[in-house]
Amino acid sequence: MSVPNTMRLGPFTPTVLVKKRYLIFYFFLIWASIIPLLLEFWVYWRLLWNDTRPIHFYTFLPLLAILMYVTIVFAAIFFAKILLVIVNVIHHPREGVFLRTPEDKDYRYWSLRNTIKRWPIWLAHRFPFPGTLDNICFKVFGVKTKISNSLFEGWVDTEFIEFGKDVVCGQGAIIQSAVIIGNLLIIRKTIIEDDVRIGSHSIVMPGTKIGQKCILAANSVTTVGQVLEREWIYAGIPANKFKKNYFFEDGLEDKIGGVEDVESLREKYEEIYIKRYDEMKYKERKEIKKEKKEEEKKRLEVEYDDFDDDFNI
Amino acid sequence: MVKMSEEAGDTDSPNSNDSEDEVIKEEVKMHYHVYITLFALIFYTSWVFAGILFFYYVLQFFLPNVLETHNFLSLFTEFKSLLSLLAMPFVLIGCYLLHLFFLALATRILWKITEKISPSKEGIIPRNIRSKAANYYHIRSFMIKYGKNSFAKGVFPWLSKWYYNFIGASKMGRGTTIEESIVNDKFLEIGDNCYIGVDSAFGTHVVEGIFGNISYFKIKVGNNVTAATSNLFGPGSEIHDDSYLLPWASGVKHTLTQGNNFYWGLPLRRIFKRKIMQYLDISPNDLEKNENIEGYRDKKLLKKLKTEERINNKSDNDKGQLIAELTDNQIDIHKLTDEDLAIDFTTSSAISRINIKFLALYLPIFFLSGFMVAIFWYWYLLDENWVAILSFLPLALFGSIYFFILACLLFSKLFLILINLLHKPREGVFKAEIGDNDFEFWKMRTELRKLSLWFLRNSPFPWTDVIAFKLFGVDMDTSSHLADTWCDGEFIKFGRKNLVGQAAVIMSSMIVGKYLLIRSVILDDYVMIGTHTTIVPGTIIGKETMVGGACTTTVNQVLEPGWIYTGIPATKFKPNKYALSHREILMKRDVDKERKFEIEHEVNIDEDKRELIKAKKINQEKKESEEI
Repeated sequence: MSVPNTMRLGPFTPTVLVKKRYLIFYFFLIWASIIPLLLEFWVYWRLLWNDTRPIHFYTFLPLLAILMYVTIVFAAIFFAKILLVIVNVIHHPREGVFLRTPEDKDYRYWSLRNTIKRWPIWLAHRFPFPGTLDNICFKVFGVKTKISNSLFEGWVDTEFIEFGKDVVCGQGAIIQSAVIIGNLLIIRKTIIEDDVRIGSHSIVMPGTKIGQKCILAANSVTTVGQVLEREWIYAGIPANKFKKNYFFEDGLEDKIGGVEDVESLREKYEEIYIKRYDEMKYKERKEIKKEKKEEEKKRLEVEYDDFDDDFNI
Repeated sequence: MVKMSEEAGDTDSPNSNDSEDEVIKEEVKMHYHVYITLFALIFYTSWVFAGILFFYYVLQFFLPNVLETHNFLSLFTEFKSLLSLLAMPFVLIGCYLLHLFFLALATRILWKITEKISPSKEGIIPRNIRSKAANYYHIRSFMIKYGKNSFAKGVFPWLSKWYYNFIGASKMGRGTTIEESIVNDKFLEIGDNCYIGVDSAFGTHVVEGIFGNISYFKIKVGNNVTAATSNLFGPGSEIHDDSYLLPWASGVKHTLTQGNNFYWGLPLRRIFKRKIMQYLDISPNDLEKNENIEGYRDKKLLKKLKTEERINNKSDNDKGQLIAELTDNQIDIHKLTDEDLAIDFTTSSAISRINIKFLALYLPIFFLSGFMVAIFWYWYLLDENWVAILSFLPLALFGSIYFFILACLLFSKLFLILINLLHKPREGVFKAEIGDNDFEFWKMRTELRKLSLWFLRNSPFPWTDVIAFKLFGVDMDTSSHLADTWCDGEFIKFGRKNLVGQAAVIMSSMIVGKYLLIRSVILDDYVMIGTHTTIVPGTIIGKETMVGGACTTTVNQVLEPGWIYTGIPATKFKPNKYALSHREILMKRDVDKERKFEIEHEVNIDEDKRELIKAKKINQEKKESEEI
């Protein structure tokens, strides 16, 4: 498991910056979180710096580096939370369909919240030990989750989401609670229950509710406000029922196998994924329709004739 | 499907030509010495000024005023020390911004020079014929990478738009937001007020086959276009004003959209009002607002509308509350059919549980490798010859990054050997629960690999991750390239010159429900894998086969050699004959009118090499006439 080098991944804060002055908050957070770091370094310097024998100073430097990193993350989280509480008192975050213009208050505050959250989340995700600090960030910023959830391989929005326990978010999966489409910003609460497995590169759109022990297969998309029933496997664009999920039963180690007959599988998938109409030309489609209609007509006529005969007798 | 891949290669001798093949099967030759020189120039200029400023401040103000202060309280009571302390974060931010600026400046100058020698122009670049056009295309792709990564993944991602505009790689309009993504760097033209969502890839270059072509065309995006997430587009696409792309709406190369509409699907198509309302769960009122956005750019009006909305919403507050009730009927596992238990879908190999106890492994590795770097810096600062220290500062920085990584690799490998002695990794189906030995050790192995791979991938030369993969037990050589992918670290075999697309996933383990499946993956020589494609455990891919973008394979699938596979699940599309294909005829696809049309275009190759293409064509024609 290795993360692509061009991507940051992890908890997702959109880079939408409605007003440039929001960056003042960002700069303030960076400034405020570095100060405790410097004080910590001062203590270390006073304790261990010795011009003639610097060995102690250099030996414990790596350990100090880790400690300083954790300090800066928690300092950033602390200050960001305070700012966030104040901002949320001024304008309470809420669900709904908003407009993507600077005049819309909800859109502005959504952008401001993301700008504030960016610095601590960025820091937490840059720590090479995966997950733990991310999940702490999630918890502090109001996402209900468990520390053991593995959500760091994809992009997960940082508000209006609820996770159960043992949720796995696959590589490159995107779990959203806010999406920009056209001139609209749609914010809806996403709920994901216990033991849900989300496949790689699949997208969970805002407002989706996923029941327990559900599997969302790779490369599939849910629609806004879709409800995925518990104990089913879903696949497709948009996600449809694929089959019942029996993979949470015990004692299946020897029975689980693969598939070799890909052609028949293709047919099965074709019903679920959108059919490619553009492969078939318009005229051909019309002809097929005509043929079907004629067949139906013939059948009806035959039945009618039979009926007449019967009547004659 | 979209095929997008990054360049890879090494300086090996050309492949032995079979006498049967008419096609020139020559591997791409990379000029690594040029790349490294250019990178060194960019890296040095970007860090040296920031480094001088930082050291000047630390030595002149921070050290005497803050660190030499004996009393903690006097840090705050004395004016000088308080000022030095409070100004330090600003100096750090300033140094960082200075670094970014000089990085962009150096890249811009070098970019302009290469543009003068061989300007980037649209066209198909043959990959199997050495040419200036191909060389400079590769050099530019390499050059932009370091800057792109440090801007997009850095503290100020808002600046990445400025970076592309500044170096002249692409044009992006006012009010446009670009989220992190795998490509989106060069040869793009994006209008005003667009939103390009996370993981959306507007790839202006496509590599078609190891011995095929590179399609390199501009992508034009109009004003007010929004791409929600994961929208992939091939080169030559034109997305006109007011096209609204829903998640996963992707097109092949040369896709045209007329705009003023919503698009959805894979490949994308227009959708109409009823479907939009169903997919987005919005009212006709919202759609009306979306169309007449100009009329709603008024704060007072919006405020009024919102209060009305709130009053209306209070009446129907409880919608969509419950998810199907719990039914506790026992399932008899003996009655389940083969179809029920077939793994004909794909999930992921992400670790299902995070465990803090892995920190016990991380800390020693981190401490030991950090200690090496600390010794290095002690030696570096020993002399106090500040002119030498400052002028070699970027070099020392680069050195210390790789010192750390190499030490990390070494110690991780050591721990890995110990763990594998305790429990040998093996293939099979295991229970993904705490208590299962195979599962626990699988987790530990992946976590252990993660640390050094993470550092390598974030270093200035991310493609050096091959070293780590080789060390950790993946069978591959330096000719393959996968810096931009998620790739598991065991039970994978690569052939020669494999090209793996950006954001592809290659996994040898998969979590299915309560079970963990581990099977080996084998890729033969010259295999290509497209962008956003998922290769699952047990896949075997034959020689010279190509898997298109946004596909998935199934467990135990065998892909035959010499074919192009596309779709979910991957099925045969057509034989892989990209080296033979036409290079001057393009197929465009109009999404709205559902039609395709052809356009002629000049092949992008040096004047003196044009004969090579023509000669081949004549040969082909001769062959065909003989057959007739």
